[in-house]
Amino acid sequence: MSVEALSESSWTGEDATIAQIERELARLRIESAGEDAQPNLRTSVMTHIAWVPAQWQVAAEETLAGMGERHPSRTLLLVPRPEKDDGLDALVSIRCFPIGNRAVCGEVLELELRGRVAEAPASIVLPLLISDLPVFCRWRGEPPFGSSELEQMVGVVDRLVVDSQEWDELRYAELAQVFDRTAVSDIAWRRTESWRFALAREWPGIADREIEVSGPRAEATLLRGWLSARLGRALDDITVAEADSLAVKLDGEEVPRPRPLYATPSDLLSAELDQFTRDRMYEQAVETAAQASNGV
Amino acid sequence: MTVTEQQNPLLEGLRIRRRPDPCLLVIFGASGDLTTKKLMPALYALAVRRLLPEHFGIVGAARTEESDDEFRERMKKAVQDHARDPFDDDVWEELAAGMHYVTLDFADDKGEDELAQTLTELDRERGTNGNRVYYFAVPPSAIATLVQEIAERRSAEGWVRLVIEKPFGQDLHSARELNSLLQQSFEENEIFRIDHYLGKETVQNMLALRFANGIFEPIWNRQFIDHVQITVAESIGIEGRAGYYEQAGAIRDIFQNHLLQLVAITAMEPPIDFTADSVRNEKLKVLKSLHTPGPKHVARGQYGPGFVEGHEVRGYREEQGVEPSTMTETFVAAKLYVDNWRWADTPFYVRMGKRLARRETTIAIQFKRAPHPPFEDGGSELRPNVLLIHVQPNEGVSLAIGAKAPGVGMTIRTVHMDFLYGGAFREGLPDAYERLILDAMLGDPTLFTRSDEIEEQWALVDAIVALWQRDRPSFPNYPAGTWGPAASDELIQRDGRSWRRH
Repeated sequence: MSVEALSESSWTGEDATIAQIERELARLRIESAGEDAQPNLRTSVMTHIAWVPAQWQVAAEETLAGMGERHPSRTLLLVPRPEKDDGLDALVSIRCFPIGNRAVCGEVLELELRGRVAEAPASIVLPLLISDLPVFCRWRGEPPFGSSELEQMVGVVDRLVVDSQEWDELRYAELAQVFDRTAVSDIAWRRTESWRFALAREWPGIADREIEVSGPRAEATLLRGWLSARLGRALDDITVAEADSLAVKLDGEEVPRPRPLYATPSDLLSAELDQFTRDRMYEQAVETAAQASNGV
Repeated sequence: MTVTEQQNPLLEGLRIRRRPDPCLLVIFGASGDLTTKKLMPALYALAVRRLLPEHFGIVGAARTEESDDEFRERMKKAVQDHARDPFDDDVWEELAAGMHYVTLDFADDKGEDELAQTLTELDRERGTNGNRVYYFAVPPSAIATLVQEIAERRSAEGWVRLVIEKPFGQDLHSARELNSLLQQSFEENEIFRIDHYLGKETVQNMLALRFANGIFEPIWNRQFIDHVQITVAESIGIEGRAGYYEQAGAIRDIFQNHLLQLVAITAMEPPIDFTADSVRNEKLKVLKSLHTPGPKHVARGQYGPGFVEGHEVRGYREEQGVEPSTMTETFVAAKLYVDNWRWADTPFYVRMGKRLARRETTIAIQFKRAPHPPFEDGGSELRPNVLLIHVQPNEGVSLAIGAKAPGVGMTIRTVHMDFLYGGAFREGLPDAYERLILDAMLGDPTLFTRSDEIEEQWALVDAIVALWQRDRPSFPNYPAGTWGPAASDELIQRDGRSWRRH
C-alpha cells in the first residue's frame, strides 16, 4: 500500500564532497520539520545500495519508488559513468511520510560516480553507511565478476542482491565464488518460490517421476538445479527448456500453475530485503546449476 | 527407510507459515458490534493474507432473524467500513461463499439442533472435518447454556475450541463457577479466554524489548527502577453500553483484565521458552504476588459533564440508561506492589478510566535519578530516565535521556529518542483480533488467559471492591476531559511522585 509522501526536499551538487553531502543531508533533515514543529524522525532499518549502470537507471528508479515506505533506509543509488571526467555528482533528497502528528523521513542519495571514481565505489559508500545496520546492495544487470568495483562492494555489504534473469550469460560458477564472503540472493530465485511450494506438495511422488522444467532461462535453470540437488538426482535427469513463463511437467502431466506470491518488482525486492541470513537452498541450487555450462 | 517416511527435502528453506486445520468458525452474537467492527474485518484481513484454512466456513448465530444472504450483505458492509485493507471482490467472494447464518435463541434446543445440522452439512460441503471454533461474542448470562448445548452435541470427530470474550465472570465466585462449568466438558487447552490487549503488537513487543535486548533486563528491577506507571485512558464515554457498564464499572471493564495483564507482562520473570504454559506460569506468579497496600491507595471516580477534544459532553449519570444516582465508577487509580525479590517496595501506579483527557495506553518505566549530577546547576532541570512503551496510539517506544544543550556551560535538557512502529515497519500493524483468531484456530493459547490467571485477577478485584463497601464518595468527582479526580493525584503525590506529564 502506498503512502503519500508528506514532503520531499532535495539538494544537487556537482563535484560534491562527502562532507558536503553529509552537511546538506543534515540541513534538509532539520528543514523538513518546519520551524515550530517537533523534529522529524529519521528511521532506518538498513543502508540500501543500488548499483545502477546508466541503462538500468529508469527501471531501478521505478522499483525503488515506494521502497522507502516499506524499508525506511538510507538509499545510495550509485550510477557509474566511467566514460566521463573524474568527479562525483550528487542529488540528495529527504522524503518524509506522515505518522500520526510526526513525520518519518528516509534519505535518498543519487550519486553519479564519474571517471575513475567509478572504480573506487567503496571509498564513497563507506563514509555514508549508517552504523550498526545491515547493508544491502542490489546490483542491476550482470555483475562484472572479478572486477575491482564488484570486489569492493562485496567487501562492504552484508547481502548482495542480483537478478540473474537480467544477465546475458548465466555465470553461476562465478557467483558461487562470492557465497563465502557475503550472503547472496537472486530475484530470479524468488520468482520461483510459488513453484517450489507447489512442487513440494508433489513429494514423495516427484522423487521418481520424469521432470520437465520450462520457463525464463534463469528461473528454469535455478529450479532445475534445486530439484536436482534436493531430490539427489543427476542434473541431466531433469530436462529444461526456455519459455516465457515457468511450467513443470511430471511424467508429461502439467503441475497446476501456482498463484504468484509477489505482484510487482518492488514486492520481489522487498522480499529479498527482509532476508538476513544466507540462503543455503539457493546456494545449493546455484552450485548444482553451475555444473551445466550455461543453463538452458 | 522408505521414500514416504523421509522428510520432504523440497520443503527445506521455504518460509512456511503454519496454516490452521480446516475448520468452521461459529460466532454467537453475530448481530453485535464486536462481530461487525472487529471479528469480520479481522477475518477479512486473514483472508487477504491467505492465513485462513484452505477449507473454512463462518456461521453467524444470533437471535435476530436474518437470511444467509442478508448476513453476507451485512458482513460485506462491515468489511467495507472497518477493514484495514482495500476491499477486494475476489477475496470477499471466496470468504462469503462459506458464510451462513442461523437464527438462534440461546435457550432453545430447536435452534441448537438447527445449528448442529447446518454445521454437519457444511462439514460435508467444505471438508472441515468436524473441527470447530466457537466464538462467544455474547453476554456472560448466555455462555453457560451455550456451553452445555455444545458439549451435549459434541461429535467424536474433529477438535473444538471455545473463545470466550470478557467479562469472564463478575467476581471470583462467578469466575470459578464459569471455569468449573467449562472444565466439566472441555479441557483447559480447548478454552481460549480472550483479552485482546495480549494480541496487540505493542504488548508483545514488551516481551521482545525485555527479552531480546541484553541492555534492559539487568536494570529491570528495584535497584534501578524507581516506579512504574501504567495508564489505560479512554476519551470516549460508555457509547450506549449502559446495561453492561453499570454492572462492570472501570474495575471490571479494564482493571481486572487488560490492566492486570499489562502489569504481569511488565513484571514477569523471563520464561524459559515461549510456549503457552511457560509464559502463563510466569504471569501467574506476578498476579499471585500482587497486593495493594490499603484503601488510601485506591482512588475511584465518576465523570461529570465537561469538554472532550473541544466538544461538550454529558456526565456519566446523564448517559442514557444510567441511574441518576449511580455509584458505578468510571475511573480507578491504584498503587500496587509486586511482592517478590525483583520488585519489593517498587510501586506500580496504575490508572484507567473513561472520558479522560485523551486516548492513551502507556507503560512508563521510571528509572532512579542519577545519584550525583556534577553539573553547575545541579542538573535541576534534569528529569529521571523514562522508558515509555506506547501501547496505543502512536505504537512504539521512547526513551527520555538527559543531553547537553548546545552552547557554553553545561546545561542539561531531557530529550526523547523515539521508535515508532509506523516508522520502522510500514506494513501496518495487524489488529489484535487477527492474531488471536488465528492463534485460536491454530490451537496456540499463549496469548490467552488461563483459568488460574483469571481467578488471581478476580481475587485482587474482590479485595479492592470489598474496601469500597465502607465509604461512599461524592460522585461525580471529575469533569469529563480531565485526568481524573483529585484523589488520583493525591494517591501518587503522597509518595513524592506525580503522574507523568502529557
